[in-house]
Amino acid sequence: MPHELSSAAGFEGVPEELIGHHFSSLGRQTEAMRLGMWLFLATEVLLFAGLFCGYAVYRFQFPLAFQESSRHLNISLGTLNTLVLITSSFTVAMAIHYARTDKPRAAALCLILTILFALGFLGIKAVEYAEHFREHALPGKYYAAEAVKVPGAAMFYTMYFLMTGLHGVHVIAGMSVLSYILWRTLQGRYSSRYSVGIELGGLYWHLVDLVWIFLYPLLYLI
Amino acid sequence: MAESALPAKELHQPEEHGGRHSAVPYFVVWIALLGFTALTYFTGTAHLGPWALAIALCIAVIKSGMVALVFMHLKDSSGATRLVFATSLVFMALLLFFTVADVATRFRLATPAGSPFGTERSQPAGLLEHELPEEE
Repeated sequence: MPHELSSAAGFEGVPEELIGHHFSSLGRQTEAMRLGMWLFLATEVLLFAGLFCGYAVYRFQFPLAFQESSRHLNISLGTLNTLVLITSSFTVAMAIHYARTDKPRAAALCLILTILFALGFLGIKAVEYAEHFREHALPGKYYAAEAVKVPGAAMFYTMYFLMTGLHGVHVIAGMSVLSYILWRTLQGRYSSRYSVGIELGGLYWHLVDLVWIFLYPLLYLI
Repeated sequence: MAESALPAKELHQPEEHGGRHSAVPYFVVWIALLGFTALTYFTGTAHLGPWALAIALCIAVIKSGMVALVFMHLKDSSGATRLVFATSLVFMALLLFFTVADVATRFRLATPAGSPFGTERSQPAGLLEHELPEEE
């Protein structure tokens, strides 16, 4: 593959300890790190695929219950959360861009914004969850909501809590990763010479966004 | 190992072009994602019947494609990373396609009487669709 363009990116300025002794060059190490991260993301995709599959089966079995229960969810908050998460994906992409163009302060600011958006997302989700608990719109045998009494509504909320719950765990994990990346950025670890760490952290956050892009129409817009 | 002596060809960093890195694609994709979210909101709340799910999923696939290609830099990644992600999508498609094809072509599954989940029936109690007497 012709990569003559990248010949300008040398090793000068890259601390020696960043390269593992088992890699012949930083380029190879970077490529291995990216590949490893994508392998991990692939397993994450398959983890959520199982839940989407379960969702498909129960939606086939209880079409009416899924429709009624979905229309009872708070669409405004769901849409707001979609906008928040998309914007956070954008800010993390900008953070990587600024790190690569040697603007660590701007990169740190973008990461702080991303973490705040993540907190906002969890806050909005908490408001929604509180509402479900108040209405007893809970999974399985705990379902006792007055508003929707169609058989199968309990199954909708089982899938709803499993999917948004697992996604929420990923948001919290992503926030932890972004906080670590922020700390490293403030230490001045990332630059145009070396930025793979912030890049991989960003990849994880984008995956969280990707999953929500599918959850939003499947749960809120039936 | 004399690392500094390695030829430039050893470097596989196709994404790093130094000063040529531009933020414009990120802005464009962000605006497009907001636009598609508005679109999916309006088509989703319009309740377009049997087409609603297909439209919603098409928009979601376009949105996630933009995130993966531009935000996640898949469009200028190496072949190996693309292959890994594509493989996960293939297996996801296999899982979903055969499961959905199965449940979509069966008669409605019944759950045991008295189970908290119940089977959704618009028919007289005790009879499933395929058990109903033929109507005139």
